[in-house]
Amino acid sequence: MRDRVESVSDSASLAILTALAREAREQVSPPPPAALDAQWSEVTTRITRQRFRRGLFFRFSLMGIAASAAGAVWMLLGLSRPSDPAAETAALSYHVEGGTVVEGGYLRESGPEEIKLRFMEGTEVVLTPGTRARLRTVDGSGARIAIENGTTFFNVTHRPAAKWQVDVGPFLVTVKGTIFTVSWDAVSEHFDLKLDRGEVSVAGPISTGEIAVKAGQRLVVDLPKKETVITEEDDGGGLGAGGVPSAGSLGPSEAPAVERPESSTSRPPGRAASLGRPRRAGDGQALSAQGWAEAVAAGQWDRILTEADRAGLRHTLAHASSDDLLALADAARYRRRTGLARSALLAERHRFPGSPSARDAAFLLGRLAESRQGEIGEAVKWYDAYLAGAPAGTYASEALGRKMMATKQLHGSSAANSLARDYLRRFPAGPYAGAAHALLTHP
Amino acid sequence: MSIRSTHIKLGLVAQPTHTHLSDTDLALALIDGAPWAYEETWKRFVPLVFNMAVSTLGSASEAEDIVQEVFCRLARKAKSLRKPESFRSFIVSIAIRVLQWELRRKRAQNWLSFQPSEMLTDLVGVSLDVEARDMLRRFYAHMARLGSRERIAYSLRHIESMTIEETAEAMDLSVSTVKRLQERATKQLSDWLNTDFDLKSLVLKRGGCHEG
Repeated sequence: MRDRVESVSDSASLAILTALAREAREQVSPPPPAALDAQWSEVTTRITRQRFRRGLFFRFSLMGIAASAAGAVWMLLGLSRPSDPAAETAALSYHVEGGTVVEGGYLRESGPEEIKLRFMEGTEVVLTPGTRARLRTVDGSGARIAIENGTTFFNVTHRPAAKWQVDVGPFLVTVKGTIFTVSWDAVSEHFDLKLDRGEVSVAGPISTGEIAVKAGQRLVVDLPKKETVITEEDDGGGLGAGGVPSAGSLGPSEAPAVERPESSTSRPPGRAASLGRPRRAGDGQALSAQGWAEAVAAGQWDRILTEADRAGLRHTLAHASSDDLLALADAARYRRRTGLARSALLAERHRFPGSPSARDAAFLLGRLAESRQGEIGEAVKWYDAYLAGAPAGTYASEALGRKMMATKQLHGSSAANSLARDYLRRFPAGPYAGAAHALLTHP
Repeated sequence: MSIRSTHIKLGLVAQPTHTHLSDTDLALALIDGAPWAYEETWKRFVPLVFNMAVSTLGSASEAEDIVQEVFCRLARKAKSLRKPESFRSFIVSIAIRVLQWELRRKRAQNWLSFQPSEMLTDLVGVSLDVEARDMLRRFYAHMARLGSRERIAYSLRHIESMTIEETAEAMDLSVSTVKRLQERATKQLSDWLNTDFDLKSLVLKRGGCHEG
């Protein structure tokens, strides 16, 4: 073999390699217009900053020299006091699990598992398998991470001077302290951010400038369709909190379980008023003083919970309209009353079977179950229920993706392979496509 | 599920087009400080700079960083452009300087870190098989051992397919100097390939595939 290898002349080898490099280069196209717009805005920001600095330099050079001299004397005399601790803090230390940082700051997986970045001040960044990202900079106040493709979870520890920035395709997400999951699909140019806690601002190729996203909201941008949507359907707000019924009581076909109200009051509803949205035939009684759906959108979750408690939870679950039940479930999830959220969703399915809302409730029940230890199997059942009822529904991609991940966790990679193939066939550019590829690549 | 969504109208900002202008007119507008000229320059020359950077570095992401740096420098130096008719060459020369600076920085970084850095060939969207990607990674690792001028000269001439004269003009060097740089780069790369049997066996395999 070695003789044969040596028989290839070095110049011929070099020619083949050069041709290969040329072939690869020709396949690479410059960034798409959306990415160019984002980069353009970054360049103009840098230029403005440079000009500002130069202007400052000329204007205040003498003053700066004087200040420097004074500072030097001050330090020599030992009279200096510590200034802003954040400004003086060294770059945050961090360690990487499940991967390594290579040339250019790229995070390379060392196996099929997700990559976790843990920073010394508590911030955690988790890259789902198949995600392509790089660590651009790390300093004392935070870091800048670029996600080129895939889904990443962030749990950023809140600190006064913290500054974390995430480049997600052509978007820039600026955060201080928050929990969110963000994904970017470079092929379909689809941006998806779900915020569990805190607040972030998103800048990018959107004509409205920066968009502030609040807890419980989800921002989806579809660049080819030029569509930006903010919804209040995030499921993270109710994850992992108290009021959890026993695992054995869960099941897709189960009748609604009623959470006991925190106060023992069980009065009839004080006022029944019209809802903000048109009511469908067959809807139950509107218990809300004003539309609960509007109240959810306005972040008035406590008001909804107070009104439901006042009316009596058992009565509310038995008589509220479909819209009010969903609004109640949302409010309960945002306020960590997971048990009540689950009861409202079960009531939705029990009282309005076959409705689109009941089908969506199945998906949300799956997410709730998945967030609790030992109930992943139940989550899979709920996802199955959703996919059976709405194979092309709003959450179909997520339900199948979550089912794939849950199956992998329960039964291993090989059991999830067929789901991964199914996912890629149905949603080749979906948010879990990277994870599906990773599953098939590293069985 | 009930609709609780807020639709925000999205529109990519439509700019008046100046695509009909020649490079020289665009350069004159840039020197005069026309507010639209810089963005038009960006749109027109990003592909040129990006392709040069990808050829030299083998990384699309790093190429994007280079593009940004080139246009930041262009903003500082635009007023110093003396020959508007050579606007394209002016931008190329800035790109070459930025690339040289980047390559030197990488070499210094590698030297200071006391261990060779892992060369990641990052060509997003390229449909190459695993072996071809491995070959490219190894090839660019050898390229990284070249001096910055040799590497750029080789990349422009053989990967970007520029002529000797174009390469010389881009690098602001004489034709004979560029020839010397290319000969040196070719010899060094050939020598290194001669001792890299893993890479040569991959090349042989691929060469066989091509023949077949």
